[in-house]
Amino acid sequence: MTVGEKQAGSENPPEVLDGPFSTRQLLRIDEALRLADQGTGLVFSVFVGGLDEPIREHAQRLHRQLAEPDKSVLIAVSPNQRQLEIVTGRYARKRIPDTYAKLAALSMVGAFSGGDLAGGIINGLDQLASHAGKG
Amino acid sequence: MSVTETLLVFVGIPLAAVLVIAGLSYAGSRGGATGGGGGAKRYRPGRPFDFTPVWFLGRPEQLADSAGTALTAGAQAPALTSHKLEKASVEAPAGGTGGASDRW
Repeated sequence: MTVGEKQAGSENPPEVLDGPFSTRQLLRIDEALRLADQGTGLVFSVFVGGLDEPIREHAQRLHRQLAEPDKSVLIAVSPNQRQLEIVTGRYARKRIPDTYAKLAALSMVGAFSGGDLAGGIINGLDQLASHAGKG
Repeated sequence: MSVTETLLVFVGIPLAAVLVIAGLSYAGSRGGATGGGGGAKRYRPGRPFDFTPVWFLGRPEQLADSAGTALTAGAQAPALTSHKLEKASVEAPAGGTGGASDRW
């Protein structure tokens, strides 16, 4: 099992509420994603769920599923494995060097270890987007 | 005081009080959890956390999935079929991607 076990039923919105976030948190994440996308021209994506071993490869596989992997940034969070992966595409990597990605990861992990998943994700998105600057 | 009265006062009343307090605290812990932003399914590091995986995209059309399953922001991603999985792993070797990993 990788992503959702059920197909994304288009008129099945309550399913997302089985996820790790409350409605308010979902709205905030949505807003953060939108702002990050608009501000940078890159495509940000957040995955929260279990990752198979090897974890890094799995995250990269998810990243490759995006429409434009080169200019995409995937943040993969596995709460149960307590693992965070940030994958940047070829072009996105020029905008967000690995050192900055590591910095953002550090602050996200800080929030996660306090049990704040949504806050960490929103902060991380904000940091990555501001490092990437205007596209 | 008769024996029944004594029992009623010294056993019955304390028992009633204990039951009332226990009931209140139980109700409070349940009600408070929902009030505290979904506290019932709150993530606590180190404890197993049961939830449905989610995949967020700012623009749902960005998933390289021709199946037409539009991913609304916050909707679940369609399951990664083995075919897609193979395709993804064949199409591009992982070279070129960067990023960072961390644990907590």
